[in-house]
Amino acid sequence: MKNQWNVKRAGLILAGVFGLVLCSAGIAAWTYAADALPEGFKKGDLAPEPPADMIEAGKRVYFTKCVWCHGVDGAGDGPGADRLWPRPRNFNQGTFKIRHTASGELPLFDAKKPTPGQNDLFETVTHGLPGSAMPSWEGILTEEQRLQVLSFVTTQLVKDRKFTDKQSETQTILQLADLKPKAASDESKKRGSELIVEKKCIECHGMEGRGDGNAFNLKDDWGFAIQPANWHKCWNFRGSRQDPYSVKNIFRTFSTGVNGTPMPSFADSTSVDERWDIANFVNSLCERDAEGNPLPIDPLTDKPKINFVLPGKAVEGEISNDPENEMWKSTPRRYVAMGGQITHKPRNFVNRLDDIWVKVLYNDKSVVYLLEWDDRTKSVAEGKLPWKPTQVNVDVKEQDPKTGEEGSIAANQNKYAVYNDAIAMETPVKWQELPAPIKPRYLFGTNDQFPVDIVKWEADGSIRAFKGTGWDKDFEERDTYEENLKVLKSEWKNGRWYVMIQRPLGNKKEQDYDEDTFFEGGKYVPTVFFAWDGHNGDAGRKMAVSAFYYTFLEPPIPRETYIYPLFIAGGVVILEAWVLTRRANKKKGKTL
Amino acid sequence: MKGLMTVGAAVGAIGLLLLVGMIFDIVPSNTVRLVEGYMPMQMLFELACFVAGFTGLSYTLNAMGKGIPRFVQGVAFWAFILLYLKFRVYPPIPFSVRAMYGTVSLVAVFMWMSANEEDWKKFKQPIMNVLDAQSGRTRLLRTAYLILLPILIGGFSYNAMKPKSEEPIELRTVHPAPPASTKVHGKTYVLQTSQNPYRVNPEGKYDQEYSNKLIVEQSMGRLMAPNANPWDDKNQGYLKYVREGGEIFFQNCHFCHGDNLNGRGLHAFAFNPIPANFTDPGTIAQLQETFIFWRVSKGGIGLPNEGFPWASVMPPWEQHLTVDEIWKVILFEYWHTGYYPRTWD
Repeated sequence: MKNQWNVKRAGLILAGVFGLVLCSAGIAAWTYAADALPEGFKKGDLAPEPPADMIEAGKRVYFTKCVWCHGVDGAGDGPGADRLWPRPRNFNQGTFKIRHTASGELPLFDAKKPTPGQNDLFETVTHGLPGSAMPSWEGILTEEQRLQVLSFVTTQLVKDRKFTDKQSETQTILQLADLKPKAASDESKKRGSELIVEKKCIECHGMEGRGDGNAFNLKDDWGFAIQPANWHKCWNFRGSRQDPYSVKNIFRTFSTGVNGTPMPSFADSTSVDERWDIANFVNSLCERDAEGNPLPIDPLTDKPKINFVLPGKAVEGEISNDPENEMWKSTPRRYVAMGGQITHKPRNFVNRLDDIWVKVLYNDKSVVYLLEWDDRTKSVAEGKLPWKPTQVNVDVKEQDPKTGEEGSIAANQNKYAVYNDAIAMETPVKWQELPAPIKPRYLFGTNDQFPVDIVKWEADGSIRAFKGTGWDKDFEERDTYEENLKVLKSEWKNGRWYVMIQRPLGNKKEQDYDEDTFFEGGKYVPTVFFAWDGHNGDAGRKMAVSAFYYTFLEPPIPRETYIYPLFIAGGVVILEAWVLTRRANKKKGKTL
Repeated sequence: MKGLMTVGAAVGAIGLLLLVGMIFDIVPSNTVRLVEGYMPMQMLFELACFVAGFTGLSYTLNAMGKGIPRFVQGVAFWAFILLYLKFRVYPPIPFSVRAMYGTVSLVAVFMWMSANEEDWKKFKQPIMNVLDAQSGRTRLLRTAYLILLPILIGGFSYNAMKPKSEEPIELRTVHPAPPASTKVHGKTYVLQTSQNPYRVNPEGKYDQEYSNKLIVEQSMGRLMAPNANPWDDKNQGYLKYVREGGEIFFQNCHFCHGDNLNGRGLHAFAFNPIPANFTDPGTIAQLQETFIFWRVSKGGIGLPNEGFPWASVMPPWEQHLTVDEIWKVILFEYWHTGYYPRTWD
């Protein structure tokens, strides 16, 4: 404030002496020379120290809720830490990712002021960090409790820096509330698309922004593997504050950088206007529906809402192998959520494939699945598989070494032998005979009588078929079925796989009904997807799995659908006539 | 009285505005947060507020000489209930259930409207007027109804008959009947007589009273009781085992059941239905520790036939954990949610 006033006064004096034109130039030059802040930033004051009673109360919150991942000393090494990726924050160094402050500075935190936009840490605890294990604590902890625990963390667990030390700490704050977002016009987005090349964003984030750039071995300040954000999954942006399609959050991250990671602040090298262009472009890449509207986000999970029915459209004749073909383009796609297979060894705690996009077409002979999913690395097997791809309940040692030590999951990240990227679809055999709701009893098949039929494609080009007969049984390879399967397309481009798999509809006469799934129109065929990221050490049952979806081959509309409604409407007309007549008769005093 | 009614009217008007805002997506539907575990009470309270508000509105309008006709009141109230169910209640309830509530509230509205002969007459008067079509306006209305009704009903039936691809509805058996005993790691545990061997006081005696005093407090936030920190190195007995159970929980269970045991873990979004919420008073708070021991040990695959539709990928944890570890995890789950396990007597 004082600075501003000085500037104004200096301007006025100058105006008196040199005249209006010189004066305005004078202000600009003087301000610039005085504090040389990046555009959009202002100096701020350090917040006062939180009161001792809040710190004490916060300790109780911390040791109930936070200690399990963040550890007793806040070093990010709690019991849960080693099986998590991204890893829990190590508070000791005072390095925090999501801030309104300049690169390298401490985030905004004031124990007495939970104002949105002015209290970074409070907002992080409130909204959580989507895409990581940090949940939103809103509705669980009260506002007071969230402020208390942060008072404890910032004073007791941040050890290398001090939030109140005026000698060593400064606050240069992005004035996001005062900056008006630029309209996301085509022109702005086009300029943004040029800027991300010019500013070298694509070096890490990739040509299409899928986080697949030359960045596989990126590490954070503590030496743990991290990966650049995938701009197509804005609901996973850590700083999205549960509002993923908001351009302001992207603008903030781009302006302040992400402390502790290789993501720098671009505040010095770009103007505010350029930053809005980039933010508009990055925001425009996030997945949207067919009309270009943001996907509806489920507030329970902070991920896109799921529709469990995969509708398959009927096609006359050949099914095209080109996703750009009209028949594919007019087919609705479905979001299939993927979680780590953490129920049977080898377990996949660190899962990197969290969704698949699916489209289905069918003709009189076969059904074709178009599967698209983001995978930062194309992986074709180099190493020998540590276990058989069919094997379940493999005896592997999982935990002993502590976080970061030799042999821990954290230390192994990005150091696995490379196996094949792969995808598989599982459908039950004889699903018609399963009791309603038609679903096998377990993900890997019920038993010998009700097995599941698995079709798996791998990045080395192979397509194979397996049979699953129960949760604790190895899959059996089906040697004779492959000739019925066909890979229409498999391509990895800029961090995304495009795979099209064709399989026979199957029927009782030609195929083996006891081993194949018979796809019937108008029926719900339970369908599960498995996916493997070869660079993540995924092989065999170490994979990502989905829940049960339903493939629904849309049947042609039967003629009755047009006829019966006409009959019903006619019936209503007769009913109306009857009511009117009755009323008229009653009024005339006639009774029937 | 008048002042009270004015307040009521204001409440009603504000509530209606909020609801309209939610319907048109101007106001986000989570503006007034639904608090977990208290949702049904909150809903009832809100509805009561609305009813009070409407009474106030109606009274005020009457006092101003602009009373709303009985017929409109009835129809509007029913429409309000339907819209409330559709747009306010979260997580959304399926159409079939809403249709059921809708029918019940329709009957309720009829009962309200036909409470006495005079009201009933007032209520059905507009209907009769349209049927008789004495004036130009009612004649127009009648003609419109005569034409629109067949078209609408025909259209609805066409829509209903068109093949659709809506997810088949699944009804879950939440707590299937447990077996009398379960065999884990070669040893048989009788559910009625087994006890959690770690629910012990510092002297090592089974002591539920002692442990109940040390669970987290049931207030907002569910924080640990003062001076009962499981991370205190000096702990002996119950709290020491709670901490060990927590370590196991955060290495195996939280991926699905969540950091706050509310079923919203890191991988939960991929499952259908999402995993069990232990903070809900309808889950572990209703069950005995041995029931949990059986469910944890045997997983989704261990559900009995009537535990249908087995929509659970929970593994039989006896594959991964020892008996001791399972008991400790259970100890932790009750500690962290602040619930007492039910006892058999």
